[in-house]
Amino acid sequence: MGGDERDHGAVLEPRGADVMRRLRAFFVRLWVWRGRAARERELAAEFESHLQLHIEDNLRAGMSAEEARRNAMVKFGGMESAKESMRDRWSLVWLETAWQDVRYAARGLRRSPAFAVTAIISLALGLGASLAIFTVADSLLLRPLPYRSAAQLVVIWEASRTQGSGPNVVSPGNYFDWKAQSGVFAAMAGWRERRSVLIDGERSEEFGKDYVTADFFPLLGVQPVRGRLFTAKEDLEANSSETLLLISYRLWQSRFGGAEEVIGRKVRIDGAPHTIIGVMPRDFYFRARDVDLWEPLGLDPAYDYRKKEGRWMYCLARMKPGVTYAAAQARMTALAARLETAYPAFNKNWTANVEPLRDSMLGQAKPALLVLVGAVVMLLAVACANVANLLLARCSARRREMAVRASLGAGRARVVRQLLTESVLLALAGGVAGVALARWAVKVLVAMAPADLAKSAEVHFDLRILLFAIGISIATGVLFGLAPALVSSRADLMGALREDSRSVTGGSRLRALLVAGEVAVSVVLLAGALLLFRSLLDLEGVNPGLDPTNVLTFRVSLPGARYDKVFERAQFLRRATEQMERLPGVISATTDSSLPFTEPFAGTWVNFEGRPAPKPGEENLALIRSVLPGYFRTLRIPIKQGREFVASDDSEQTPHRFVVNEAFVRQYMPREQPLGKRIRVLMERENPFGEIVGVVGDVRDWSIDREPMATVYYVYSHLSYTSATFMVRTERNPLSQADAARHIVRGIDPMQPIADVRTLDDVLDENSSGQRFSAVLLGGFSISALLLAAVGIYGVLAYSVAQRTREIGVRVALGAEPGRIVSLIVGTGAKLVMGGAAVGIGGALALTGLLKSLLYGIGPRDPWTFTLAPLILLSVALAAAYIPARRAARLDPMDALRAE
Amino acid sequence: MGDKTDIWQGTLALMILKTLEAMGPLHGYGIARRIEQTSGDRLAINYGTVYPALLKLEQEGYIASEWGVSDNNRKAKYYRLTRAGRNQVKKEAQQWEETSAIMARFLNPGEQTS
Repeated sequence: MGGDERDHGAVLEPRGADVMRRLRAFFVRLWVWRGRAARERELAAEFESHLQLHIEDNLRAGMSAEEARRNAMVKFGGMESAKESMRDRWSLVWLETAWQDVRYAARGLRRSPAFAVTAIISLALGLGASLAIFTVADSLLLRPLPYRSAAQLVVIWEASRTQGSGPNVVSPGNYFDWKAQSGVFAAMAGWRERRSVLIDGERSEEFGKDYVTADFFPLLGVQPVRGRLFTAKEDLEANSSETLLLISYRLWQSRFGGAEEVIGRKVRIDGAPHTIIGVMPRDFYFRARDVDLWEPLGLDPAYDYRKKEGRWMYCLARMKPGVTYAAAQARMTALAARLETAYPAFNKNWTANVEPLRDSMLGQAKPALLVLVGAVVMLLAVACANVANLLLARCSARRREMAVRASLGAGRARVVRQLLTESVLLALAGGVAGVALARWAVKVLVAMAPADLAKSAEVHFDLRILLFAIGISIATGVLFGLAPALVSSRADLMGALREDSRSVTGGSRLRALLVAGEVAVSVVLLAGALLLFRSLLDLEGVNPGLDPTNVLTFRVSLPGARYDKVFERAQFLRRATEQMERLPGVISATTDSSLPFTEPFAGTWVNFEGRPAPKPGEENLALIRSVLPGYFRTLRIPIKQGREFVASDDSEQTPHRFVVNEAFVRQYMPREQPLGKRIRVLMERENPFGEIVGVVGDVRDWSIDREPMATVYYVYSHLSYTSATFMVRTERNPLSQADAARHIVRGIDPMQPIADVRTLDDVLDENSSGQRFSAVLLGGFSISALLLAAVGIYGVLAYSVAQRTREIGVRVALGAEPGRIVSLIVGTGAKLVMGGAAVGIGGALALTGLLKSLLYGIGPRDPWTFTLAPLILLSVALAAAYIPARRAARLDPMDALRAE
Repeated sequence: MGDKTDIWQGTLALMILKTLEAMGPLHGYGIARRIEQTSGDRLAINYGTVYPALLKLEQEGYIASEWGVSDNNRKAKYYRLTRAGRNQVKKEAQQWEETSAIMARFLNPGEQTS
C-alpha cells in the first residue's frame, strides 16, 4: 500500500477502529478511481475558487490586482504538489505507479529484444522443464493415494537370503501367521493378480482382475458406490459357491451403461458364472489402473499351505497409528526368524520385508523420477542464474539512466521497484512460455514413460500446477531481479553521471560468479546425461539371446471352466499355431507361458537324479517356461546341444522331457554332460524325473539388464497354463498379421478374445524404456543448461569487451597482434570456465552415485564420461568466448580510442 | 519557512475538524485562513496543504463536502462535520490533551504533584 505512506494525521489515529476506517478509505478510493477526468476538473474548480476568494480578500485589503493574485498564489504553495498528493490519495497510487512501471518495463524490453528474448527463452526452458517434471512427479509421488491414511499402508514381501531375487510373493501359510502374531499391524489382507475374460451375453473381452481377501477393501478404507463388498464368510466359501464379483466404475459405465440393475447381474468370467454385487468408486485403483474386476481370494486358514503349495500371493497391511516403517520392519524380521525356526523345511533362509505401498507401485520409476526432479531443479537454477546475469549486464548498461532518474528525485525504493517490475514481467512472460512448453512436454513425457510409471499414473495438468507455475515465475523474477536491482541502484550517482564507463561496478564480480556456477551445474548435468546415454547404448547393444525382429505377440487366456482338460488347451494352441503358420507372410508360430522381458514368471526348485536332496535353503532355483514345439526355431534361440522339442514330445502320454539353457548347465552341472541326465522340477503336485534333451542359448528374458538365469523349458502338455502368449514370426510388418490371428482364434472359439497385441521389438524396447526415459530427459536438460551457460559466458565477455574497448584500442595501437587480443579475452572466459568446471566435476563425482541404480555396464564414476563432459563444455564455452574475442581483435584502434 | 513554526502534519487534521466544529460548514480557503488566524499567525501554512488533509478526512467519513455559494456569490466547495467527525473531534481532542499533559510533565518536571 504505497499510498498510505503519505497519510496525514496518522499519529493521532486511535488503534482500534483503524482497520475499518482504512478499509473504508480504501474502498472509497477504489470507487473514486474510476472518474479520473471528472475528478481532475472538480479539483481544478475548487482550487480556482480558492484563489478567487483569496484574491477578493486581498483586493478588499487594498492590494493591487496583480499583487493580490501573486500573494494568493504564493500563499497557496505548490499547486502541482498539492494536486499530486491528492491524486495519491484518490488513486491506489501503488496500482497506478505499478501500471506505469509495467508499461515502462514493457517499453524497455521492446527496445532491447535480444535481451528480452534470451531471458524469456532461458526462463521458459527452465520453468517448462520444471513444470513438466513436477507435474509427473506430483501425480506419482505427491498426490495422495485414494485410500484412507495411505501413508500407513505397506506391502510385505518374503525374501530369500540365498537366492537374492528381490521381493518375492508370499506363502498363505506365513501370511496367516503374520496376521495373527505381528502386533504392529492394524489389519492385513492378501491379493493376487491375473487377467480374465469377461463374457456378458455375446461380448467377451479380457480384463485385469485381482483376487482379494474380504478384509482388503475395509483395510484400504474404500466402500463401493453401488452394492456391497463380500463378507469374510463369502470369501471363505468362494471356491464352493457361485462367485461374487466387484467391478470398476469404468467397467460399469462402459459395459453396463451405468445402469442400477447391474447389481445382481450374472456374467461369466473365464467360463464360470459370477454375480456382480458391487461397483467400486470412480477414482479407485490399486497398484495398476487397468484392473476392472475383483473377486474373493478364498483362502482357507485350516489348509496347510506350507506343505502343499508354494509362495504365490501378495500381502498388504496397515500399520497401527504411531508405528514406523523401521519398527514394522524390525518386528517382521523377528517374526520371520521365528517362522524360519518353526518351519525349517519351508522357511529356511527366508525372511520378510516391509515396503511402503507407494514405493511398491513405483518400482524402478522412483529413483529415476527423483534424479529427474533434482536435475530439473539444477536446470532451473542455471536458467535463473542466466537471467540474473542478463539483468545485471543490463543494469550496468543502464547505470546512467538510473542515475538520471535518481537525480530527478526518484527514491532508491522506486528505482528498485522499477527494476523488479521489469524482472517480474520477464519472469511472467517466461512463465507463460514455460507453461505452454510444459503442457506439450507432459504429453511427450507420458508417451515416453516406462510402463511402471504409466500404469499407475494419471498425469494431468491442473490449476494447482498453473498456480505453482505463476508462483515460481514471480519468485524467480523477484529473487533474481533483486540482486541486480540492489547492485545497480547503489551505483554511485556522480560516477555514473560523469559517464565514466571504466569504473567497475560491483556487478561484474557477481556476474562472473553466476557464470562459473552455471558452468559447474552444467558439468554435473552433462556428466549425468552422458552416463545414462552410455548405459543406454550398452543396453541396446546387449544381445537379448533371441531375434526379436518381425515377431507378433499376443495373449490368449483360455477360460479354465471350458478348457478344463490339458489336451483341450493343448489342442487349441496347436490348432491356432498351425493355422497361423499357413498364413501367407508367416514363417512360424509358437506359444510361451509368459511374455519374455516383462511379466513376472514362475521359478522353482530343481532336483537332480542321483544327487542327495538339497538341504533347506540351498535348493537349486530355476525359472520355468512352458512352450510349444518349434519355440526355439521361431524365436531363433540357438540350440547348443541336443535338440529342441518336437511334436511327439508334446503329449501327456510321453515321459517328461526338458530343455535347459546354458546358464542352467553352468550353474548346476558345470562338469557334466547334460544331455540324457534326468531332473525333477518341483512345479506341480506330481513331478516325475525327466530327461534333458537339449541345451539352448541364454535369453535375458527376466530383464535385458540382468544376467540370464538358469531356466528349464517344459513342453506345453506337461505344464499347461490357461494363459498363453503367442509368438508369430513373420516375413515383414508383424502387426499386419494381427487381424488374421484374431480371426483364427475366433474361428476356433467365437467367444475367445486376444489381448496385448504387440511386436516383440516393442516389448524389448519397453524393457529399456526406463533408461531411455531418464537418458533422453537428462540429455535434454544438460543440453539446455549447456546452451544457457554458453549464453552466460558470451554475455559476460561481450560486456567486458565493451567495457575495455578503450584499453583494447590502446593495445592494438601499441602493436598487439589480433591473436594476442583474442587470447586475452578468451583467457578471461577460460578462467571462469575452468573454475566452474572444476567445481562441477567435484559435484558430479559426489552426485552421480545417485544414478547407480539406473546405470548398466558402467560405474557412476566412469572415466570416459568424466573426461568427455568437461571437454564438451570447454569447447562450447570457448566457442561462446571466441565471438566477443574476435570482435575485440577487429577493433579499429582509432575508433576504439575515440569511443566514449 | 521563516521564523514561524512549521505546521506538524499530524495535527492539521485535528485543527481542521476543530475549526469545522466551531465554524460550521466552511470552504477550504476559509478553513486555511481560520487556522492561521486562530494560531495568532504563529503558524505558517501553505493554504494548498489543507486540501489533501480534507480529502483524507472525507474519505474516512469524518467530513462531507458539497458545492455551495459564498457570501459574495462565489461558487465554493463547502465542508461540514459528519456525526462520526464530531465523535472523532472529541476523541482526538481528548487524546491530544493527554499527550500534551504528559509532554508538559516532561518539559516542566517541577510541577509534578503526584
